[in-house]
Amino acid sequence: MTSLDARDVLGIPADGSSRPAKKVKISAPRQSLKGLAREVQSLGGNNPIAIVPATSTFKKRRLGSRKPAARWKLEPFKNSAREGDSSLVLRHWKRVGELGVPPPEEQPENGDGEPQELEDSAFAKFSVQVQVPQYSEDQYNSNLQNSDWTKEETDYLLHLSCDFDLRWSIIWDRYDYKPHALDENGDGMALVLTRKERDIDDLKARYYEVAAKMMAAQTPVTYMPPQQQHLHNVMANYSAEKERARRKFAADTLSRSKEEAKEEESLLLELKRIDSRAEQLNEQRKDLYDRLDYPATGEGDLAALKTSSGLQQLLATLSSVDRTKKNRKSIQENGTSPNVQTPVPESAGGYGGHGRRDSTVSGHGHRDSIGGDSAAATPTTSRAPAKKGSVSAQAAVTAAAATAAQQERRRLTDMEEIVYGVSHHDRLTGGATFRYEKINKLFSHKSGQQQQRITNVLAELGIPPRLQMPTGAVVSRFEGLIGHVNTLLDSRKLSDKLDAELKTEMAKKQHRLDMEERARKAAEEEEKKRKKEVGEEGNESAAAGEGEGEGSKDDDQKAQTGEKNGGNESASKATSEHQAGDAAPAGSDPPVKQEVVSRPGSSGQKRSVSVLSTVDDEKAVKRQKK
Amino acid sequence: MAAHNLTSTVQPSDVYGGDEVQAFVLDPGYYFTRAGFAGEDAPKAVQPSFYARINGADQPKDIYGEQYLIPRENLEVRNYMTKDSIVEDWDTAPKFWESLIRNQLLPPRQVAPKQNGLNDIPREDQEGDVEMGDSNGADKTGDTAEDEELKLFEESPLLMTEAPWNTTKNREKSIEMAMEGWGCPAFWISRTPTLVSFAAGKPTALIIDVGAANASVVAVHDGHVLKRSIQKSPVGGLWLSQQVQALWEGNDPKVEPVPFFMVENKAPVDAGAPAQYTARKLGFDISETFRAYEDERLRTEFKESVVEVWRGPTRFMMPGTEEIARNQTPGRVFEFPDGSNHMWRETRYRVAEGMWDDTAQLPNTPDEWKISAEQTLSSLIRNCLSGVDVDLRPNLLGNVVVTGASTLINGFNDRLNIELTQMFPGLKIRIHSAGLSSERRFGAWVGGSILSSLGTFHQMWISRKEYEENGVNIVEKRCK
Repeated sequence: MTSLDARDVLGIPADGSSRPAKKVKISAPRQSLKGLAREVQSLGGNNPIAIVPATSTFKKRRLGSRKPAARWKLEPFKNSAREGDSSLVLRHWKRVGELGVPPPEEQPENGDGEPQELEDSAFAKFSVQVQVPQYSEDQYNSNLQNSDWTKEETDYLLHLSCDFDLRWSIIWDRYDYKPHALDENGDGMALVLTRKERDIDDLKARYYEVAAKMMAAQTPVTYMPPQQQHLHNVMANYSAEKERARRKFAADTLSRSKEEAKEEESLLLELKRIDSRAEQLNEQRKDLYDRLDYPATGEGDLAALKTSSGLQQLLATLSSVDRTKKNRKSIQENGTSPNVQTPVPESAGGYGGHGRRDSTVSGHGHRDSIGGDSAAATPTTSRAPAKKGSVSAQAAVTAAAATAAQQERRRLTDMEEIVYGVSHHDRLTGGATFRYEKINKLFSHKSGQQQQRITNVLAELGIPPRLQMPTGAVVSRFEGLIGHVNTLLDSRKLSDKLDAELKTEMAKKQHRLDMEERARKAAEEEEKKRKKEVGEEGNESAAAGEGEGEGSKDDDQKAQTGEKNGGNESASKATSEHQAGDAAPAGSDPPVKQEVVSRPGSSGQKRSVSVLSTVDDEKAVKRQKK
Repeated sequence: MAAHNLTSTVQPSDVYGGDEVQAFVLDPGYYFTRAGFAGEDAPKAVQPSFYARINGADQPKDIYGEQYLIPRENLEVRNYMTKDSIVEDWDTAPKFWESLIRNQLLPPRQVAPKQNGLNDIPREDQEGDVEMGDSNGADKTGDTAEDEELKLFEESPLLMTEAPWNTTKNREKSIEMAMEGWGCPAFWISRTPTLVSFAAGKPTALIIDVGAANASVVAVHDGHVLKRSIQKSPVGGLWLSQQVQALWEGNDPKVEPVPFFMVENKAPVDAGAPAQYTARKLGFDISETFRAYEDERLRTEFKESVVEVWRGPTRFMMPGTEEIARNQTPGRVFEFPDGSNHMWRETRYRVAEGMWDDTAQLPNTPDEWKISAEQTLSSLIRNCLSGVDVDLRPNLLGNVVVTGASTLINGFNDRLNIELTQMFPGLKIRIHSAGLSSERRFGAWVGGSILSSLGTFHQMWISRKEYEENGVNIVEKRCK
């Protein structure tokens, strides 16, 4: 009723034709969608019509490409990694046709009744055992005795290490050694053999001790390959005490309170900040220096350039830079990289020489810039400073290239160098030489007496003067030894000389003391006499006493400078006596004076001053002796 | 083409590392026993470790299965495990497991229509379900059928789990049962923390396992349990239940719960109002053990829906904290089987607080359930770590694995995290706990499932031949 009424009101015919018409409309675009798609979209204008053309067909199954379902078979297998027995046969599902499972066509031929070779588990190869040292009873007795450990306990430890693959935390956790010699002897023994409480470091120390000793017993340390040698070193040098301290430290760190932890964290942050700032600052400073082409100033360097020989050296290094530059260019043209080991003549400048050349080059570049700085002061470097600047720049570039090349080269460790027999020399002499000649050379340029002394010392040490097996190492050690012997002999000589000098000086001193004693006695007598003579003249005698005291104080000076007589008889007497005593020290002065004279560049006035000063020194010494 | 095949049909052995051999994995616990096939992600059979014993006029009879733990005359509920999570009753345990595996893991046996019971004329005088229980019991099956089933054991290795504090004697009994009783071709027994660490995918981990009867904290390093680190205490699900009980008893008005089976029907009442229900008339006496079992179920439900761990940052017993809990956290309503219901506010936090703080135990806790300060989880963790090499400790704290059903209580992990960070400031602490509750409940079983389906594990099994050569003590030698 309602729909009919509505149609009536709106003036639509009641036959309901509008609905079928709509249906046609919907179906029409669905069929001819391709052509109309754009038209339909455009009808909506800015608001696209929300009619989604739906295709009701499902994706076709690709029946043709499907393979038949995979066939699986329950197959028995064994595991060769099982230690105890290999009888355990488990079964797992295997795809038929895969490795180990014969395809179904072959199955009947083999026959089910026939015993087939069982497949081995693919995982057997992952079974890995650790190697623990093995030892026999004799080996234990000769090498591994330890007062703290019995053999049984050591065995137990090694057994556990094997069981738990050297996981020390677990070994320590499970370590529960019970000495079993108790059953026979009864309770009395049980009390004696108490169990020792061992910590993890004790166990480790013992294990490493055993392992290192057994390693050394199998192959002496010197014959071990480097890796093994390293391992041996590490194990032999294991320090339980150090480890214990470390562990204690770690435990302390763990038991920090919250505040401590926070503080440490903030400190670490601060440190990081400071570090990064310092780095930044350095970077900036370096940048600035680079920009300014900052010349390094050093007093010594300038002084070296002030003399003509220094300048000559500078010139020589400059020309050598040119040469090395050329050389390098030629090397680069030849295409030989610095990595390649070149034959002997080349290697003199190639391998060991590289470092040397680099250093001279860089050193030169440094000095060169100084030269540029002091160009006005030195007439020889009157070449255009611009040119020099360019040279220095080039030198810097080549130096940088050289250092880069050096970094490219593989660095050998000390151990590897020994193994490969690589040695570094500053300079190689041309041609081959015998090593014993080298030794002979050590002797040949000594006097006969010295040679005799050296041989005496060697005999004392029990070393033959002619080496039986002059290998490189032995010769170098021998050379060192001879050097030490030489210094020993020299020092012995020196000490003899000093002893002798000391003796003479002592004798002199004794002599002088005697003389003084005598002089004093004489003076006293003189005074007594005078007192008797003069008697009442108190003033004068006091003055004389004063003068005398002064004289005895300064008598050396008087003697040296030839002081005029103060009118006092006693004083003059004393000086005359002293002059005799001072004769010997005065005699020792001339060589000092000569030395001063031979000093270059010091003026005459200066010399006299220095003479005076030395004389003063002498006096001071004497005074002290007194 | 080969690349296409790899998707499902070819096992990529180099990546996957699995090699399934249809092993059984059996994980007995105090409250639940779990069993299933290795390689699956959850145990197929999970059953309470309780069984029914019917004390009839003649021989007492044991019936296994959760469905038989119903109110019945002369029915006694027993458990074959001790409260230390160790198998105690070695006469019953094998039968229990056998029935579990047979009834829940294996497909139903084909029985001739004459015998299968479906065509029998129902008898009026007895209850149907009890009849079913009897007919399904192990005693009624014929010898031939039993032999057939035992053959299934002969093809599949058995992996069992054990508590880390299991005794040597018990382990030897396990292998004896598997080899002599069931005829398994291979056997392995592994400690639960090891397996949990497998399930979590962490070779080194600190396992915090809060189960029903025990809470334990054990360090595992490279798949080995560190024996000196083993710490356990009774702060588990049962202890929580006792706290719940104490809470009910201390409540005003006192709550006296009635278990489900005693309620015939009930009417809705307002919160705090007395219950209106009619009790069921059974006509026979209910044994104490059955009542305890039912009470425990009710308390478990309360634990699951109401109890929550106080998340901190301050301990619940700090002055003022209780007010915060009362005013700022939502309460929860719990309706008891008899229809009475109560709103639980701050007290629901108090129940679990004793796990962390022994002073927070409810005052009316029975003496045998009181714990000392050394038995709280925090102390367990500290003691556990002090028994471990110092170098391992940071690593362990970075791999804390939480497992056990009692850890599913809301807020447990948050609280644990707070306790650990307070105990070890400055160390990175990372707690790993499975989000899936089944993985949390069956952590050890899942680990066993993973372990026994690993290709590299098959060299470890103790084979029948090795057992025959060495006797029972091989289990001590091999399963370290």
